[in-house]
Formats: sequence, C-alpha cells, structure tokens
Amino acid sequence: MPIDAHERGTPAIRPHAAVAARAGRHDTGHASRYVSVFTALLLGAAAPAAGADAQSLARLEEAAFRQAAAIAAPSVVRIDTVGGLDRVSGTATGTAPTTGILVSADGYVLSSLANFAARPTSILVELPDGRRFPAKQIASDHLRMLALLKIGAGGLTPIQTTDRADVRVGEWCIALGRTYATPTPSVSVGIVSALQRIWGKAIQTDANLSPVNYGGALVDIEGRAIGIVVPLSPNASGNMAGVEWYDSGIGFAIPIQDAFESFERLKDGDDLHRGLLGITLRRTDLYSSRPVIDRVRYGSPAENAGLRREDTIVAVDGSDIKHTAELRHALGNKYAGVDLTVVVEREGDRIERKLTLVAELPPYQSGYLGILPKRRALSADEARTGVVIRHVLPDSPASRAKLEPGDRILQLDEKQPENHTALLDIVGRRRPGTEITLFVDSAGRRRTVTVTLDSLPTRVPSGVPPVTIPPPGEAAGTVVDDKTRTGRFTELMEAHQHRFWAWIPDDYNPDHEYGLMVWLHPAGDTMEAAILQDWESIAERRGLIILGPHAHRPTGWTLNEAEFVKAATELLIERYSIDAKRVFLHCLRDSSHLGLQLLWNNRQLYRGIATATPVRFPVTAPPENRPEDRLQFYFTCDQQHSSFRFTRGLVNALRGMKFPVVLTAGDGDAQAWPNSEVIEEIGRWADSLDRI
Amino acid sequence: MNRPWLIPVLSFVLAAIVSDSICRAETVIEFAQQRVVKIYGTGGIRNLHAYSTGFLVSPKGHVATIWNHVLDQDVVTVVLDDGRRFQASLVNAEPQLDLAVLKIDSEETGFPYFDPADAGHADPGARVLAFSNVFRVATGNESVSVMHGVIAAHTQLAARRGAFQLPYEGSVYVIDSVTNSSGAGGGVITSHDGILLGMLGRELRNARSNTWVNFAIPVTELRPVIEQIIAGRFTARRRQARDTHETPACTPLDFGLILVPDVVTRTPAYVVGVVSGSAAALNGVQRDDLILFANDELIQSQRQLRSVLGAFEAPGTLKVVMRRGDQLVSIELSVERKPDAD
Repeated sequence: MPIDAHERGTPAIRPHAAVAARAGRHDTGHASRYVSVFTALLLGAAAPAAGADAQSLARLEEAAFRQAAAIAAPSVVRIDTVGGLDRVSGTATGTAPTTGILVSADGYVLSSLANFAARPTSILVELPDGRRFPAKQIASDHLRMLALLKIGAGGLTPIQTTDRADVRVGEWCIALGRTYATPTPSVSVGIVSALQRIWGKAIQTDANLSPVNYGGALVDIEGRAIGIVVPLSPNASGNMAGVEWYDSGIGFAIPIQDAFESFERLKDGDDLHRGLLGITLRRTDLYSSRPVIDRVRYGSPAENAGLRREDTIVAVDGSDIKHTAELRHALGNKYAGVDLTVVVEREGDRIERKLTLVAELPPYQSGYLGILPKRRALSADEARTGVVIRHVLPDSPASRAKLEPGDRILQLDEKQPENHTALLDIVGRRRPGTEITLFVDSAGRRRTVTVTLDSLPTRVPSGVPPVTIPPPGEAAGTVVDDKTRTGRFTELMEAHQHRFWAWIPDDYNPDHEYGLMVWLHPAGDTMEAAILQDWESIAERRGLIILGPHAHRPTGWTLNEAEFVKAATELLIERYSIDAKRVFLHCLRDSSHLGLQLLWNNRQLYRGIATATPVRFPVTAPPENRPEDRLQFYFTCDQQHSSFRFTRGLVNALRGMKFPVVLTAGDGDAQAWPNSEVIEEIGRWADSLDRI
Repeated sequence: MNRPWLIPVLSFVLAAIVSDSICRAETVIEFAQQRVVKIYGTGGIRNLHAYSTGFLVSPKGHVATIWNHVLDQDVVTVVLDDGRRFQASLVNAEPQLDLAVLKIDSEETGFPYFDPADAGHADPGARVLAFSNVFRVATGNESVSVMHGVIAAHTQLAARRGAFQLPYEGSVYVIDSVTNSSGAGGGVITSHDGILLGMLGRELRNARSNTWVNFAIPVTELRPVIEQIIAGRFTARRRQARDTHETPACTPLDFGLILVPDVVTRTPAYVVGVVSGSAAALNGVQRDDLILFANDELIQSQRQLRSVLGAFEAPGTLKVVMRRGDQLVSIELSVERKPDAD
C-alpha cells in the first residue's frame, strides 16, 4: 500500500487529529491518501457512538490547528527593528515587531523583505525561549521578496518543511506570526486558495495575512512549513507592494522549497534580483494573442541579442508562448543572471536567440556632437543633401575637430543624413564615447574627420547666435490668412470651454519653422503682460511663438486640464509652421506639476521643459530616456527657496536617468526669481533644443 | 491499488459528521442571535456611526455593550432579534473596560440572555463565531450577522507603548477575521459550541503596524463589573488625580549619556559620548553603543527613550540593554538624586 508522504517522517508530536482533519478535506479517492482516509474512517465511525460533541470533526480540526502551531512554534521568531525611514514609496512603515523563521540550527533566519523596507539601523531577533540576539541582514531576494538574517546562536530548531510536492488547493493552512507578546505564535487559519500565483511565484491563501505575520511560516495541518508569508502584488514590484491587500482574503506565501533554494544562494551575501529582458509589449489583452514587442530598451539583453520591435515571441526556453500571460509566467520567476533562449517570429522566419537576464537596465544616454544645425527654409531646394552647421558649440567634439559654421556634413559613417532630423536621429542612437567618422564639405573642400561623441552638456553656452528669419516676401508666395493671425490675441476653444492667449511675431514667415513655448501660468495669475514683456524680444531673436493657455480655476491647474493644453498646443502646431524638436513647456511655481506630467506623458509633443521655482512635482516617475524622443530639462530655483532641496533632488534623479538637465541656482531674492539674465538663458536653451 | 468499496462508506461517514456539526451550528447560531441586540443612538455626524451592538445579560433586559458615543444621549433604542423595539437607558459604565450596561425599559422578566457566569475561555487556534450588527446590515426582526474566524492570539494589546489607543489594559482575544468593523462593537464571540467568550471591541488601529486589529474582550474579565452593575453595587473607579507637583522628567544626560543629535523621527539612541564620573561612565558605556532596551521596553528611537525616562522616578535604577558590535550588553544605571526642577 502506498504510504502518504506525511506518514514517513516522525514529527515530535504525532498529530492524529491532523491526519483526520486533512482526510476530511481530501475525499477525492486519491490512492496515496488511503492511509489517512482510513484513519478518518475509524475516528469518524467512532464519533457518533462516543457522542457527537466530543469527537466532532470540527473539534479534531481545532486540535489540529493548535498542534500544528505548537510543532512549528520553536522555529518562529520575533524580529524588532530600531531606527529607519518613516515612509517608503509613500506608505508609512511600521515599527511593530515582525516575524521570521529559523532555517538552520546555526542562526539563519528567513523573513519577508517588507519587514525591512524602512532600512532599520539595527535588527534584533528574539527566540521563542526569550533569548535576544542582534541580527545582521545578510542579503535580500528582490524577486521572491525575502530577507536572510543571521544571529550568533547555535543549537536552534530549524523549521520542519513539508516534503510533499503536492500542496493542494483546498487543504488547510495556518499562518504563524510572532507579533504579539505571547508564548505561542499568533494563528490565522485558512485554506490554500491557489498555487503558482503572481506569475508562478506564490501560494495564495485566504488565511488572514498582514504585517502581523509577514515573514512567518505558512504551515500545513501537520505543522510543517509549506511557505513563508510575504506581501506580493501581481501588478507592482517594490518592497511594500501587496501590503495594501491585507484583510482582503487574498494573501501570498513563497513556497518553502523556493525559499530554501533562495536561502542557499543568499548565504553568500549576494542580493538576488528579478531578471529583466528589456522589452515592452504592445498593449493587448493578456490572453488574446502572442506577445508582440513594442519597444526594445537600449543596452538591454533583448537589444544585445538582436530582438526588435514588431518581433512576435513564440517560445521561451523550449516552451511555447501562446499569449502574453504565458510569457509573464515564463519570465516572472526568473532571477537576473539566468540564461534564456527566446524564439521570435519576424516576417515569417523563426529566429532563436540566447540571452542572459540582468538585474538592472542601464539608462540610455544619447551621443552629442556639439553643433546647432542651420534651419532650412521649407521651400529650400530639397536636392541638396547634408546638414549645414549654424553654430559650433564650445568644448564639444565638433569644436575639437575644428568644424566651422557653414560646413556641410554629408556623411556620418555609412549613412548620408538628408536633413538635420535624420542626423540628430543617427547621433542620438550612438552612445557617448562612440567614435564616428564624418565626411564634411568646408567651402568646397571635402574632408574626413573622426570624432568621439560626448554626452549632452548640462550648461547653456553663452554665445548662441540669434537666428534671422526673413520677413515673408512676395517671392515666397506666402499668404497670411485669417487663421494665421499675428501679434497677440485671445481665443476660446469651444470643445474644452477654455481660453488661451498667443503671441506670433509680426513678421511671421510660414516658410520657416519656429519654436513653440507653451507658458503654463502659476495659480491665480496668467501673467500675460509680464511674460510678453520678458519674452517678446527674446522670441523675436530666437524665432519663438508663445502660447498661454488659461487655467479654469484661479486656484491653479488640475491634471484634468492636460487635455486642453495638449489640444491648444496641437492647434497652434496645425496652424503655424512649428519645428517639432523645439516645442517646450515653461512653468513657474505650482504649474510645474502639470508641466512635468504633460512632458512625462506626451514626449512626442513636448521635447523639453523650463521650469522656474518649481513647488509641485508629479507623483509618477519620469519616463526612461530614449533616443527617438529626446527630452531636455531646464530648472532654475533660488537656493534660499524652500523647494530648492526638492528641485535638486529631481534634477539629480533625472541626471541619474541620463537626461540632459540644466540647473541654474539663484542666490538672492527668491521672490524676484528668475531674473532677466536667467530668462535670457532659457531663451538660449530653447534655441538650442535642436542641438546635435 | 484500487478499493472502490471505500468511497461510499467514506461518503456516508463524512456526511454524518458534517450534517451533525451543521445542525449543532444552527442551534448555536440561533441561540446566540436571540441574545444579541441592535442598538441605535446618537451619532451620524462627523462620520460617527449611530448604531452598535449589545448582548442581553439578564432575564430582566440588561444589555452589555461597548461604551462609546452611541450612548451619548440618555435613552437609546434597542431592537431584539424578534423585532421588538424598546427604549433603554444607561445603568452604569466602566470606561476602563470599554463597557456599558443598559436596561431595557420594560417590566418583562423573560428575556433570553447570556449568563456571564457561564462564559468560557479559548486558546489560539480555537474556532469562533462572531455576532454583531456590523454596518447595520440587520434591521427590524432580522438577526445580526454571523462571521467565523479563529482565535489568533490571547494577548495584551497595551503591552507595547504607543501602539494602541485603548483604555483597557487586560488581555484580549485577537481574531483572524475582520470582525471589528463599524457597529460591531458590543457584539459577541462564542465557541462553536455556543459558549460565550468575548465582547467585540471598538474599531482599533495598530499605530505601529498600520493595520486594524480585530479583537474581543474576554467576558470573564467583564463579568464582575457586569454583575456589580446589575446588582446596583458598582461605582466607577475614579481616575487618580495627577500629582500637581510633577517631578521633572529624567533625560539621558542625567545618566551621563550623550546621544547623537535627534534629527529624524526615528533617530536611534546611539551613544556618542559619556559624561566622566557619571553612571554611564562607571558602567563602561562606550561611544557607538546603541541603546536597545530601557527597563525592558524596546527603544526604537530617541523619542521612545525620552518617553521611558519620563516615567522613570529618581532615585532609582534603569536597566539598559545595548548593542555593542554584535553583542548585547546589559547594564544598570543608577541615579541618586532627582534632576533639578526648573
């Protein structure tokens, strides 16, 4: 007769009640369960005879819960922390004690990573016998959200784990925590609700899981660990993700075998990370079709392996991928450093690629040559290819290679850029440090120059020459109709019930492209006159059109008004001749909130933002840097102003993401900031948004 | 190995057990529901609910319930399981236990009731039923809602400073399901056998883990006061008047401890120096020692240390556990005189 796995080992306390209770839940007639089923039969048959009350199944189950807790109790420890952060990712961190489980006799303790999200100064472990030990956090597993601690104690009782491979949906499970000041662990009883949850990582249970038992053991009815309790979320990662689900009837535990596998690797002190491939998928239903790559991150394993946009992923590690959910299952429980074979379909061909997942995708950084391209009239002769240099920026690869204004770049390596947009695209897709060869026409003399690309500078050069756009001539055949009014005017956008004002240079020439400054006024004041006074002359010299949308309420912009600002921007782009590379937002104080959010979400429309004394910041993270939609930033704030610290924090974060960010700090009167010098500088910055 | 004969036999036995326990559960539930009442009183403003739950504790219509704002008016309405509606007035209350006892305004003496003397005890792991008018779901002659759960712990919530705002300092049953929502306070938990175990407490948040706690106060703890109130022998304990000549609180410096500047909310109590000749110096306190316990209380921040020292009375001895490298070091610091008053 086959013997059920749990009959083999002999735990310290033999839980007869447990056997019966388990049998009561598994009446499916599985051959391997006959031993326990038979026990139940005997107990059950005896029950009515001996009086239903005393022997009821419910009583046996209750006794089993207590026995299970008692068996595991010596291995469930209390963890206290000292110091650390108040809030992590916007969530208040607790200071209550948490739980861990002993996984070795020599003092290793596994716990939930969420318990240490506050990065405490000191960690203390209290054993069930009351002894306390300082603990050291050895390493963290950021995929399974576990933390490994070590205390200097020996002769401990490691948790007994189930050796059954068949944890089954519907079986009893008991979550044990050590939060309360009691000799026995706290008990929460439920059943296993599902297996392989959160993309193959976790057991789901309806036992009440919360900070009370995070890090504790999820044991079966025999008191053997089947998992370790952690907060998890299917949609979010991060140390605190999933904490908000407590009390919901949905809780997660990492299967104990996986936790021990993690323990063996964490012992060496190296953190484990989720493996990243570096692709985003086209947005479709998880189950409707095979995943199609939308974008491949620069420098990612996917890019290095030659995966491309529009590739359809059909297999991972030999398993067919029929829909997106299967891909997430295949990747969701993989660590960084794991080798993977991916098969994609491209134009009917099946292409197999091997790659290694990474822990972190390096931010992309665009290369920089150091020129401002000459802006061509739209009616200019298209046959002439290449890019004429308008200005060579100081301390740049171009200046070191002695390129001169007027030089025409005909070729870059093997490519012949037709215009400056094409050249920007080629240079932007090469990284700083890349050596490129240029074929240049200098006043009829053709030469080859080799330069090494730099990264985009974070200062605005002083000598950016103004541009001269000739007034519209009869020869150009330009007609200024009703829709292309010039000067200053106000208009109502019916669809949005919102007004905007705009200023167009009097000698607007539709044969030339202009930059567009979208001015988002601060709360309570549209500042129309002040902006015109500051900017009219700059706009004339720099070839700028100004758009000033009005916020609906005097209390300032709401994020709902983003659609109106976008629509107004698009309206001007439609009416006037505007260079898409030089459309930028200009904000003062609180309007930075809407401005930055607009930029994050509409990077094909807005290419930069100049913001003075920002006081409000979006809660969402900035998008990644990528060459096809380059973003540029200009921040200015007085050092005395209370928001300077936050501004500098955002600037550092953006610089860390390899965005080109200028920060001009004032040192004086915060109220009068920005001064005319700074406004002049913003004008130069705006005029060099098309720098290559 | 195939034993088809086993399955019908097994099904029969299991069905017998299950139907037996369901029958008993139904009886238990009916029994308890008849004894739990819906209470309507003041509230409804500032998001305070105007309803709660109570349970009959005498055949004359005494109702034990939670002591809260619902009872702020002189007379409240009590609705029984059978739909009968009564006015009831407050007999007495013990705020220290979060307990109030009402009396239904009626001469009737045949109300179904729980006898507090029959209340029992349960251990962690025991399955319980909770009865309350949670969220005011039951109205008129509808019975209160029944929930099930397990005793997660039998513990003292007030054991840790700062975690709970609860006047009650005794032990409680913590329940592993969400029993303490709006209006549930004053309901009961019973065992599956119908033995009265506890009165559901107020909605309570653990300030230190940012979670809600579901708990019940054991009826064994409430029983003496309930009986005294019914007998008319109860007088609420007066809170001890505060000593008007408060002794100034001790500070770390009184023990010779110089700590790192307290700059963030949870600045750890790191020692950066000791005053020569002080208790700290004599006991060998060193720079970089981290104070972890003071008089057995965990010190997670300097704020907590100040709070413990605030309750310390000099002259006396403070037990301190410090972390020094990977070791825990226990010392005792004595202070001879009271710190100078300002």
